[in-house]
Amino acid sequence: MVSTAYSYYPGCSLTSSATEYDISFRKVVEALGIQLDELEDWNCCGASPAPHHKAETLGVLLPGRNLHIAGASHDAIVAPCAGCYNRLKYAQYKLAGDQDIREQTSEVFQAEVRYQTEVLNIVQMLNREITPEALRERSQGRLANIRIGAYYGCLLTRPADILGFDSPRDPRKMRPLMEATGAEVPHFPFKTECCGSYMGLARKDILLKASHRIIEVAVSTGLDALVTACPLCHQNLDLRQEQINKAMGTSLRMPVLYFSQLIGLAMGISPEELELDALVVQPDMDRWLKGVA
Amino acid sequence: MRIGVFVCQCGTNIAATVSTERVASAAMALRDVVHAESIQYTCSDPGQRTVIAAAHKYALDRVVIAACSPRMHETTFQRTMAQAGINPFMMEMVNIREHCSWIHSDMEVATEKAIDLVSMGVAKVRGQTPLFSSHVPVVSEVLIIGGGVAGIQAALDIADAGMPVTLVERGPTIGGNMARLDKTFPTLDCSSCILTPRMVEVKHHENIRLMVNSEVEQVRGYIGNFEVDIRKKATCVDEEKCTGCQICEQKCPSEAPDEFNAGVGETKAISIAFPQAVPLVASLRKEYCRLYIKGKCGICKKVCPADAVDYEQEDELHTEKFGAIVVATGYELFDWRQAYPHYGGGLYPDVITSIQYERMLSASGPTGGHIQRPSDGAEPKEIVFLSCVGSRDESIGRPLCCKVGCMYIAKQAILTREHIPDSRTYVFYMDVRAGGKGYDEFYRRAQKEAGAVYLRGRVGKIYPRGGKLVVMGADTLVGENVEVEADLVVLATGIDAAAGAGSLAQRLNIPYDQYGFLSESHPKLRPVETTTGGIFLAGACQGPKDIPETVAQASAAAAKVIVLLSHDELETSPMIAEVNHMRCIGCFKCREVCPYHAIEEQGLRDGRRVAVVIESLCQGCGLCTVACPPSVISLRGYTDNQLIEEVTAVLR
Amino acid sequence: MSGGDIKLVGFLCNWCSYAGADMAGTSRMAQPAEMRIVRLPCTGRVNPLLVLKAFQEGADGVLVSGCHPGDCHYNEGNYYAHRRLELLSRMMAVYGIEPERFRYTWISASEGARWAETVTGFTETIRPLGRLNLAGGGARDDDHHQGPAAGSASPAEKR
Ligand SMILES: Cc1cc2nc3c(=O)[nH]c(=O)nc-3n(C[C@H](O)[C@H](O)[C@H](O)COP(=O)(O)OP(=O)(O)OC[C@H]3O[C@@H](n4cnc5c(N)ncnc54)[C@H](O)[C@@H]3O)c2cc1C
Ligand code: SF4
Ligand code: SF4
Repeated sequence: MVSTAYSYYPGCSLTSSATEYDISFRKVVEALGIQLDELEDWNCCGASPAPHHKAETLGVLLPGRNLHIAGASHDAIVAPCAGCYNRLKYAQYKLAGDQDIREQTSEVFQAEVRYQTEVLNIVQMLNREITPEALRERSQGRLANIRIGAYYGCLLTRPADILGFDSPRDPRKMRPLMEATGAEVPHFPFKTECCGSYMGLARKDILLKASHRIIEVAVSTGLDALVTACPLCHQNLDLRQEQINKAMGTSLRMPVLYFSQLIGLAMGISPEELELDALVVQPDMDRWLKGVA
Repeated sequence: MRIGVFVCQCGTNIAATVSTERVASAAMALRDVVHAESIQYTCSDPGQRTVIAAAHKYALDRVVIAACSPRMHETTFQRTMAQAGINPFMMEMVNIREHCSWIHSDMEVATEKAIDLVSMGVAKVRGQTPLFSSHVPVVSEVLIIGGGVAGIQAALDIADAGMPVTLVERGPTIGGNMARLDKTFPTLDCSSCILTPRMVEVKHHENIRLMVNSEVEQVRGYIGNFEVDIRKKATCVDEEKCTGCQICEQKCPSEAPDEFNAGVGETKAISIAFPQAVPLVASLRKEYCRLYIKGKCGICKKVCPADAVDYEQEDELHTEKFGAIVVATGYELFDWRQAYPHYGGGLYPDVITSIQYERMLSASGPTGGHIQRPSDGAEPKEIVFLSCVGSRDESIGRPLCCKVGCMYIAKQAILTREHIPDSRTYVFYMDVRAGGKGYDEFYRRAQKEAGAVYLRGRVGKIYPRGGKLVVMGADTLVGENVEVEADLVVLATGIDAAAGAGSLAQRLNIPYDQYGFLSESHPKLRPVETTTGGIFLAGACQGPKDIPETVAQASAAAAKVIVLLSHDELETSPMIAEVNHMRCIGCFKCREVCPYHAIEEQGLRDGRRVAVVIESLCQGCGLCTVACPPSVISLRGYTDNQLIEEVTAVLR
Repeated sequence: MSGGDIKLVGFLCNWCSYAGADMAGTSRMAQPAEMRIVRLPCTGRVNPLLVLKAFQEGADGVLVSGCHPGDCHYNEGNYYAHRRLELLSRMMAVYGIEPERFRYTWISASEGARWAETVTGFTETIRPLGRLNLAGGGARDDDHHQGPAAGSASPAEKR
C-alpha cells in the first residue's frame, strides 16, 4: 500500500450517460486538493445482469478484478456510482466470507486475490474529506434560496448488512453536507423509494409510475431540486421526466442534481464547470444564486 | 457407623439388566456396610416396611437406596427414614435405573456399573451428618406493586382472605391501562363500568392500605420476611384533606401534558387524572408549575376550599415488613417513532397510537367521545389501522407479539363504525391472531358488521398529500400494491414492560428478559412464581396479556400468596452453606458471588469480621464454596470431602 | 472397573443435566457404560480442584454439564462455572493432561438425546487416548488427603 490518494473507479455510466457526474466529481475533488488515480485498465462492475448470470461467480469476478487491481496500489477505492459501489462491496463481502469463491477467483486471476481495499461511495468519501463546518465556511450560505431533498434510492444503502453505510429506512448521511450548503433540507418521505431501476426496458410502465411518484412528492414537499448519487436513478428521474409527464398527464418539473454538483455549487465552482447544463430539467440558476456575490 | 444398602429390582426394570443380588453381595464388602439386600419394589408399601424393619434389626444409622432417580423418589425415602427413626438426610439414593439398567443391555457391564455406583453412594453417605430443617416465622402482610387491574384483583382476593395488603402505585391513581380503555373486546362492555367499582372497593376495603404516588426503593430479607422501603412522593396536596372538587385544576394557569390521555389534549400542573380516579385527590407536578418555574403563583393554595394544598410537603419514606410480594407493574406502549421513520417518525400529527385512539373513543375522554383528527379537529372518514408496529418485526429486533393488537383493532373498527356511521376503516395486518373464547367471532364481526376492509400486508410508507395521508402497502393475498388515502392512521404499537421494570426486578432480585418483562419460575408449571421465594407475578408485567388472562393470573398469584401465608412458620432446607468462622479470613469473596445476597458480614468478639450465611436466604447452590480462597465454606450434603470420597470410591 | 478400561466422571447439576440424563434413561437411549455420574446442586459447585482431584485419582476423562446459559436454577451459577471451567480447560495441558479429556457442556432437562450423544461422543474421544498417564507417575498416590487438591479443601471439612 503506497499511495494516500484514492483509487478512482468511474465505471461505465460515468464515462457515457453520466459524464457530468464524472466531471463534477473530479472538479470538487480537485478543489479539495485531493489526488484521484483512475484505476488502470478497469472493467465493468457487472452492473445488474452479472449477478444473475448462471455462473454464480461472475458477479464476484468482474468487480473483484477491479478490487484486485486497486489493492496493488491503494488503500481505498472510491466509486461515485451507487451501482458500482454496491457491486464492489458485494464482491468484497463474498471474497471475505466465502472461501470457495475466494479460491476460484484466485485461480482465475492466477494470483492470490486482493480484496481488502476499502470501498467508498461518494458520500462517504466527501464526508471524510470535508466537514460540514468547513463546507459551511466555504459556501457562506450560497444556496440559502432553495429547498432540496436527498434521494438515496436503493443501491446506496441496501442490503445494509453488506454495505454497512447507512440505515436503509432512514438514511441521513447526505444531510450534514447538504445543510452546510445553506439550503433548507426538509423531510422528504420518498428518499428511499425505488425509482424503477432498470425496469425501463422490460416494464417501462412500472418505472414511469414509480419515478412519477417520487417527483410528485418532491414537488408537493416544495423542493427546488432532488440530489442523488446514482446515475440510474438520475436517468430515470431527470432524463425520463418528460416521458413521465406525458405518460401520467402531468407537467411536473423537478431538477435532479448529482451530489457532486450540489457540493461543487456550494464551494463556489461555476454551474458551467459542474456541467449543470447537461441536466434535462434545468434548475433556475438565477433564482438559486440570487444575491450571491 | 452402620450402613444398610437396599438394591431395588423395580420389578424387571432394573433386575432384567442388573443382577441386584450380586450388587447387594458386593455392597456387603464395602466398609461400614452391615446389611445389604435386594428388594422387588422398594418404593411400595411392603418395600418401605422391609427397609424400616432392617433399619431396626441392624441398628442402621445410614442408608443407601439403589433404585431410580433421586428426582423421582428422594422425598419418598426421606420420609421412610423418618419413620425408621433415621435422620432423612442420612440417606443417599443411587440411580441404577435411568443411569444404568435402562441404558445398557449387557448384564455383566450393567451389574459392574451398578456396583460402582453403589460404592460411590456408600462413600458419600459415610461423610454425611444429620441435618435439621429450621423454621422461620412469617409476616402475614402482603405487598402488591402496581395498581392496574392485575394489582387490584390480587389485592382484593388476598384482602378478602383476611390478610392485610399494601397496594403501592406509582401514579396518582389506580386503574392502570384498563382505566384508559373505552370498551373491551370481545364483549364490548365498557371498561370503566367494570373497573371503577373494583377500584372503589380497593379504596374502602378494611384490609387494604392504598399508597399512590409511591415507589418501592429497596427490598431486603427473604420469603416470609421482606423488609421494604417505600417512598411516597410529595405532591403538594394533603390526601386526607382534598375533597376532589377540582377547583384548583380549573384555576391553575400552568398547562401540562396529559399523561392519562396519552397526550391527547392538555391538563394543568395541578390536576386529577380522570373523574373516577381512586383516590380522588389532586396532585401537583412541580416541573410544570409556575410557582416552581417562575417563583410566583400559589393560586391553587388560595382557591382550595379544603386548605389541602401544601407546597412544603416532603417525600415520606416508609419501611414496612411483608411476608410476600406480588409484582403487577403492567406494560406500556413501545415508542415507535425512532424505529419507523417511514411512517413519519412522529412528524405527522394524524398518525396516532391505539391508546390515543382509545382515549378519543371514550365518552369521558378529552374529546368527549368524538373522533377527531389532531391536526385540524375534523371528523375523519377514512381510517387506517396498522397492526404489528413494533411487534413481530425482526428488522427492528422486536420479534415478540403484542398479543392484544389484533383484537383491539377489531374492537376499534367496530366502535369507529358506531361513532361515525359513514366512515370506512382499513386494517393492514400480518395474521389475525384471535385465539380465545369468542375472539374469532368478534373479529369476523368487525369485517361483516362494521365493514372493516382487511388487507394482508405490511405498510411500507406513510406520507402526506393534500391534507390526507397516503398509506402505501401491499395486499399480499392479491399480490398487488395498495394505496389508501386516509384521514387518520392508528398504529397498534408493540408492548413493552413498564418503564423501570428491569431496575425494580434487580431490586427484587428476580430475572427479566430483554424487554423488561419479568420471568416466571417455570413457563408451564410455575407461571406466577418467580425464582425468588415469596415473590409472585400478576398481569402484563410478565408478558403481553389481555384483561381476562391478567385477571386469571392475578387470582392465581393471590392463591399462591394465601397458601404461603396460611402457615405461621416456613420450613427451610438444611442443605445450605456454612462458614467455618475459625478459619474465615474475612475476604468476602463469597458475598460477591452469592446470587441471593445470603452472606452477611459479622463481627466476632475477638474483633475479626467474618462471613455468615443467612439460613433463610441461602438456596444451597454452592457457588460460594468454590469462591472461598481458604475453602472454609462447605455446602451441607455436598461437602468437599463427601464429593472427593464419592468420586474416588471407584477410581482407585 | 476392570484393568485396562477407561474411567469417566461426570459432574452434573441436579436441575438440568442430571434430569436430562434421567430423560435419556426414561427414553431408553443406549449409552456407553464408562460414565459415573456425580450429582451436584449446580455446576457453580464444581471446584476446579475437584476435577483435578478426579484426574489425579484415576479418572481418564471428566465431563461437567449444567443448565444452558440463562437457564440456571440459581440464575447465575453456570456463568461462574463457565468462567472457572474455561480457565481450567485451558490449563489442562499445563498439568500434562490432554485437553480433550476435560469437557464442559450445557444440557437441559429436555435434552435426553443430547445427553446420550454427548456421553457417546465423549467416551469415543477418550477410548483411543486410553488410560491417563500422569507425568511423574507418583502423582496418583493412594492417600488422596495428601494431594494438592485435597490439601486445600479437606482440612476445612475436618471440623
Ligand atoms: C390500545 C389497547 C386496547 C386494549 N383493549 C383491550 C380490550 O378491549 N380487552 C382486553 O381484554 N384487553 C385490552 N387491552 C389490554 C389491557 O390493557 C391489559 O390486559 C391490562 O391493562 C393489563 O393490566 P395490568 O394490571 O397487568 O397492567 P397495567 O394496566 O399496565 O397496570 C400496571 C400498573 O402498575 C403501575 N406501575 C408500573 N410500574 C410501577 C412501579 N415500579 N411501582 C409502582 N407501580 C407501578 C402502573 O402505573 C399501572 O397503574 C388493550 C391494550 C391496549 C394497548
Ligand atoms: S387540592 Fe383542594 S382544590 Fe384541588 S381538588 Fe383537592 S380539595 Fe379541590
Ligand atoms: S450456597 Fe449459594 S445461596 Fe447459599 S450462601 Fe452460598 S452462594 Fe449463597
